[in-house]
Amino acid sequence: MTVKELIEKLDLKILVEDDLDREVTDCYIGDLLSWVMGRAPADSAWLTVMGNINSIAVATLADASCIILVENAALDDNARQKAEMHGVNILTTEENSYQLAVKISKLI
Amino acid sequence: MRELSLNVMDVAQNSVRAEATLVRISVTESDKEDRLTIVIADNGYGMTDEQVQQVIDPFFTTRTTRKVGLGVPLFKLSAEQTGGSFDIQSEKGVGTTTTASYVKSHVDMTPLGDINDTIKILIQCNPDIDFIYTCTTDAGSFTLDTRELREVLGDVALDTPDVLEWIADYLEENTKSIYGGA
Repeated sequence: MTVKELIEKLDLKILVEDDLDREVTDCYIGDLLSWVMGRAPADSAWLTVMGNINSIAVATLADASCIILVENAALDDNARQKAEMHGVNILTTEENSYQLAVKISKLI
Repeated sequence: MRELSLNVMDVAQNSVRAEATLVRISVTESDKEDRLTIVIADNGYGMTDEQVQQVIDPFFTTRTTRKVGLGVPLFKLSAEQTGGSFDIQSEKGVGTTTTASYVKSHVDMTPLGDINDTIKILIQCNPDIDFIYTCTTDAGSFTLDTRELREVLGDVALDTPDVLEWIADYLEENTKSIYGGA
């Protein structure tokens, strides 16, 4: 499943668009960035409420396919800029992590 | 980080890399003021204003193995997410002072963790560097100064097992005395 297909199936809103043809092969949920950075699998959709500049660094480090900001969590302006600069897809939804992950598990 | 003492370890290791010979670490905890303040001050080679901006930027690192460095940015985030503050003052050839201040009662407050163990490990791993650790609460304060230990120890190195055990006991006993036996 690609990021693009995930967006269509889950009705996600795009905040930062980079390579939407990237494959999503896994899903990870976490908000403690130092924890996530060593544990999120590559090519995963990372579900979090943390929309700050450090999240972009963590997504880069973990090589996540996309960040999905759940429960309409805010994306900081400088985080948006860094995401555009470093090519990180950022999506958002009003659903919480659990609700979204349940749907994702049926797709990937 | 799950514990702030790990951030202290991380920043102190930056001091070591900056060839500091003296590192001052202080932890000041006040229930009355609802504040926890951590200061790490070294006499290493310091940074320019531009370099200070770079270390708080997660996309800057001196490592060549990866393109992001999150040590300082996550320390900063941990303080700011409690409504506290974070600051780095540095001068080339003089040293660097990093200050993180927390609102203790905030729900996103990260626990301090085992700071005594962190201090002991820093001394153990860097026996040629001097550390001055000061811990202060509303009930009092104590200081461990490795320069004073050296005077007493003479030629005995700080990283010998007996000395390290004494350091661990000293930190534990004094911590108890200013945390009301907790």
